[in-house]
Amino acid sequence: MTLIGDRQQLSYIAAQAADARVNVELETEGMTLNIGPQHPATHGTLRIIARLDGEQVVWAEPSAGYMHRGYEKLTEVRTFPQVTALVNRIDWLGSFANEVPFILAAEKLMGVEATPRAQHIRTILFELSRIANVSLFLGDLGVQLGAVTPVFFAFRDREYVLNLIEAATGGRFHPNFDRIGGLKDDLPAGFIDETRSVMKKLRNFCDEIENLLFGNEIFQSRTRGIGVIPKEVALQYGLSGANLRASGVDWDLRRDQKIAMAWDKADWKVITHPDGDSFARCWVRLQEVRESTRIVDQLLDTIPGGPVMVKVPKIIKVPEGEAWVSTENPLGEMGYYVVSKNDQGPFRVKIRSASFNNISIVPWLLKGVYVPDIITILASLYFILGDIDR
Amino acid sequence: MGLVDRGRLPKPLTTLFNMGRSYSMWVYQWGLACCAIEMGAAFGSPRYDVMRLGVIPLPASPRQADLVVISGTVTDKMAPAIKRLYEQMPEPKYVISMGSCANCGGPYWDSYSVTKGVDQIIPVDVYVPGCPPRPEALLEGIVLLQQRIKNEDMGARWRGEGTVPMSAVDGESAERGGVPVVAG
Amino acid sequence: MGVFPLSPADTTEAPRDERRETELGAILGALGGNVADSLLKPNDDIWVRVTTESWRSSIETIRSLGYAYFCFLSAIDWMPSPFGKGENDPTQPAPERDNSIVQGYTGGATRFQLLVRLVMPGSTSGVNIKCDVPDDSMTVESLVPVFAGANWHERETWEMFGINFAGHPDLRHMYLPQDFEGFPLRKDFPLLARIVKPWPGIVDVEPLPGDENEEESEQS
Repeated sequence: MTLIGDRQQLSYIAAQAADARVNVELETEGMTLNIGPQHPATHGTLRIIARLDGEQVVWAEPSAGYMHRGYEKLTEVRTFPQVTALVNRIDWLGSFANEVPFILAAEKLMGVEATPRAQHIRTILFELSRIANVSLFLGDLGVQLGAVTPVFFAFRDREYVLNLIEAATGGRFHPNFDRIGGLKDDLPAGFIDETRSVMKKLRNFCDEIENLLFGNEIFQSRTRGIGVIPKEVALQYGLSGANLRASGVDWDLRRDQKIAMAWDKADWKVITHPDGDSFARCWVRLQEVRESTRIVDQLLDTIPGGPVMVKVPKIIKVPEGEAWVSTENPLGEMGYYVVSKNDQGPFRVKIRSASFNNISIVPWLLKGVYVPDIITILASLYFILGDIDR
Repeated sequence: MGLVDRGRLPKPLTTLFNMGRSYSMWVYQWGLACCAIEMGAAFGSPRYDVMRLGVIPLPASPRQADLVVISGTVTDKMAPAIKRLYEQMPEPKYVISMGSCANCGGPYWDSYSVTKGVDQIIPVDVYVPGCPPRPEALLEGIVLLQQRIKNEDMGARWRGEGTVPMSAVDGESAERGGVPVVAG
Repeated sequence: MGVFPLSPADTTEAPRDERRETELGAILGALGGNVADSLLKPNDDIWVRVTTESWRSSIETIRSLGYAYFCFLSAIDWMPSPFGKGENDPTQPAPERDNSIVQGYTGGATRFQLLVRLVMPGSTSGVNIKCDVPDDSMTVESLVPVFAGANWHERETWEMFGINFAGHPDLRHMYLPQDFEGFPLRKDFPLLARIVKPWPGIVDVEPLPGDENEEESEQS
């Protein structure tokens, strides 16, 4: 099996040939570069060990585990309602989105379904947490490529979204709002109008970022053609989310999956990009924030009436069985394989987190790139440490 | 600074030094988990703006930092790195432990891979509780630390007698000197 | 092997899922004798258990049917935990527990089972593939030659369950320090914090510092 894509390999060979022409007498010496675990250039505490030949990477390996907290073991000693408080913290930028697939899996095992209103509000909050997540990515992207301004914009506008989430759920970061059978509470008064105005601000933010960053010549030359992932390789490594769609795969679980959520009640597009390079990944994410604001806007118009919670027993016992539910989370496909043994807590929960698969491609992807491109590629793959290490 | 070493420093001069130290703190951010984002919001966002407190985030390395904010879950794999970088910081150095995980393990109190509290590795001056604490809570933690620095006797600290509080500037914060402070 | 109704109480008409029935039929036809058991839950999912010897070749066959997206690989330890939920008072004698190993869907004979999910890209047609892990050798074939992405998943599974993967290029610790002992996701790996200290949920609520007066008034 070829492990280096043709384009990458050709560029590596060409660069080596160029180096050989220039440095006829200068022998390059192998060198090992260690980035992290705590380094201003890395995102979170991912450690990258790269072996360099001159300025080119010949071998690179991310060293994960600095944030391993043992979720899968801890879920085995928690009850079902307690698990949501735990899994919240896997992808800490879009917390609400982590709860949903787990709750859906538990509901599937119990044979209950949330009320239409609860499904609707779940979808709204899900998309809000996607916006909170990806807007920080767009700001952070600038920082990692040497432009500091976008992060201030991102933090400014992200606060509005966090305020909304806090107003609805009571928690800025970790809502723990989803319950088996519905939601803890209804939306607060004034939420709908406030959300509309915030969505307008977010669309302005997207325009600003597009002008500031994506139109920037330096940004383009640093991301275009860097870190190309062909479609077949992306599928083999199980990449998901924007990383997969940027490689030209038209696949979005929000659209393609029949699931008890309200995405099918809005009119929106799945964004793909044929290039598969870093620019494509960033661009797809930017457009997805725009689509999310559109989804939220439309769903706000059509919230059905009724209760937000169905009747479930006070002490939740989940019948025996196995269930797999995954949703399209901000970082990609996040799923839970829940095994229950007719107990108050799960017997085993396999957490399929998006970043773990997304980052497992890094050793392959970093072969042959130059040192500054390491940061570009890692930034564009977009991972969250809690989501890799769990 | 021979005067400080011997601990014979006139009180007005101590006050002056302490004031200088408390309002020009270089913070090394040790962002580990969820709290790192709230710390980023406190330090990097226009809404909370930590620089008005005389705190300068983002030094180039821990060797230039006075304060380290440990924000997030400390794992057993990470702990040696924290200890090593803390030892590289120059004296006098201060530690803020931000969030339940760094304080005591938090929701991962029974995990097999999480260190139950960063105070097992390095001494902590201020604990900021919360999961994660709001940016305002971190700012309060910094203000409490500044009060503590203002009441500090550097001579005692350098002689190795621990952080003995100087005579009270205001009663409440003087009581807090010497023992870790819990914000909030 | 066959189609099960959604729940035993469904006496009217078992829901049918023709799309999944066709898919399962295609998989079973391609795998032939390598299938140990299979299960279809209408409008839910497909489970197939293949024999240990044919693990890699079965995955390769299923992949050639179009299931080219590697979702995840993991394992399940079917032994009930000897420590329960860790919610009992450690000073009390342990309660009686049923320690028999009962496998889940599609059955099985061993304590550990591998679990892989493959999906058809662009759709939601997925299949959960299980395989027994021999109790004595604890070794199965590695899937890295089939799916390059299986590399990290197998490292994780090896670290968490102690299952060896023959032919894996690089079985090293991934999350835990290199000198870590034990396999955390095995059910007999204790969470020490829960064993040395009673679960806080069973401790009576402690009086808060400001509550002395109320307590006295209650006593008087």
